[in-house]
Amino acid sequence: MSAVDYILQEAPVGYGLYEVVQQPDTIGNRLKEVQEAANDLAKFGKMVKLVSFAPFQGAAQALENANDISEGIANAHLLSLLELNLPKGSKKKKVVLGIADKNLAGSIKAAFPAIDCETNEVVQDLLRGLRLHGNKLLKQLQPGDMDRAQLGLGHAYSRAKVKFSVQKNDNHII
Amino acid sequence: ARGGARGGAKVIVEKHRHEGVFIARAKEDMLVTRNLTPGESVYGEKRIAVDSPASGTDENGQPVATKIEYRVWNPFRSKIAAGILGGLDNIYIKPGAKVLYLGAASGTSVSHVADIVGPTGNVYAVEFSHRSGRDLINMAKKRTNVIPIIEDARHPMKYRMLVGMVDVVFADVAQPDQARIVGLNCHLFLKDQGGVLVSIKANCIDSTAPAEAVFVSEVKKMREERIKPSEQLTLEPFERDHCIVVGKYLRSQS
Repeated sequence: MSAVDYILQEAPVGYGLYEVVQQPDTIGNRLKEVQEAANDLAKFGKMVKLVSFAPFQGAAQALENANDISEGIANAHLLSLLELNLPKGSKKKKVVLGIADKNLAGSIKAAFPAIDCETNEVVQDLLRGLRLHGNKLLKQLQPGDMDRAQLGLGHAYSRAKVKFSVQKNDNHII
Repeated sequence: ARGGARGGAKVIVEKHRHEGVFIARAKEDMLVTRNLTPGESVYGEKRIAVDSPASGTDENGQPVATKIEYRVWNPFRSKIAAGILGGLDNIYIKPGAKVLYLGAASGTSVSHVADIVGPTGNVYAVEFSHRSGRDLINMAKKRTNVIPIIEDARHPMKYRMLVGMVDVVFADVAQPDQARIVGLNCHLFLKDQGGVLVSIKANCIDSTAPAEAVFVSEVKKMREERIKPSEQLTLEPFERDHCIVVGKYLRSQS
């Protein structure tokens, strides 16, 4: 297995791209020590380094991206972040990007053939770390920004679901 | 018509063993939570206002009797309330906690969980049905610590952008594959060593097997999802053939 070079964070405030500085071990990742390191911000902060953060410009764009992420579609906003910040890989030396969802992997690969996407357990553990510490690793965020973004986006996403539902009225049991 | 609790001054509210949960002692004892939005009921439940023991003072230094409002939590309508009355040792849901609530329905129980976690906590309420989802969204408009998510709990990847890392996962999804659903959500969103509460309705898993056997097999499935069960409690007399299993998520377990 090739090592993971970068990981992608999908936050309600925007996309974060991190370089994986310290490669976690595949074999030991269920060990207590390894898990505890991911829980500790000081240690986790040394494992990844923020390369770039692409915030959403307003609620409409956030919702559009949330819907795309949900369906496994790579939004133009995401693609531009990857294009600007990932090194151009070649056939021999591909860049490995760790992401959460296999469906999204297909969309990214379609746009950038030189990027390999990885969704294994090592990646999932790194993403758990980002979810846990994300708002502290993104320096420009104020405390509470992430919560507010989740709240707004949750309402927008859910309202849209209910509004454009074919099953506007649930099936009645006759 | 006002019910029995409206005795007014006779009601005394005491703290429950679980932080954020209270007991109102009147003619009968009732489980209550402190109303996050005083003056409003969510689903027609009774409210009890009592004088705050630590009343503040107004600008003239005169003591002011501030009222605190509580909402009655019916154990026949909420599995968590039934579990608390049944004597669960640890519910993990407490002030400031972040809770992922799977199977939120119209948000009646969710509103009480939101009361418990308070303004510093969060409840991510996942419900798939659009019909009850509408009520859930309306409830969440008033309670800003509730994040409504109208999506299938089977596919946590679909709502991964809306949810942060949580301290507790509560599941009341009543699906045959609920252990798997809980596992998927834990792997994605639950902190290492976080709490898991699962309500199991035996009939929904396997209506032919005896309830006890279903519970045993569900607990086994939870172990496979790295959840270490600590308690199992039947919800009698509030629900028939239901149990609630509490456990801890051990990410580092091999």
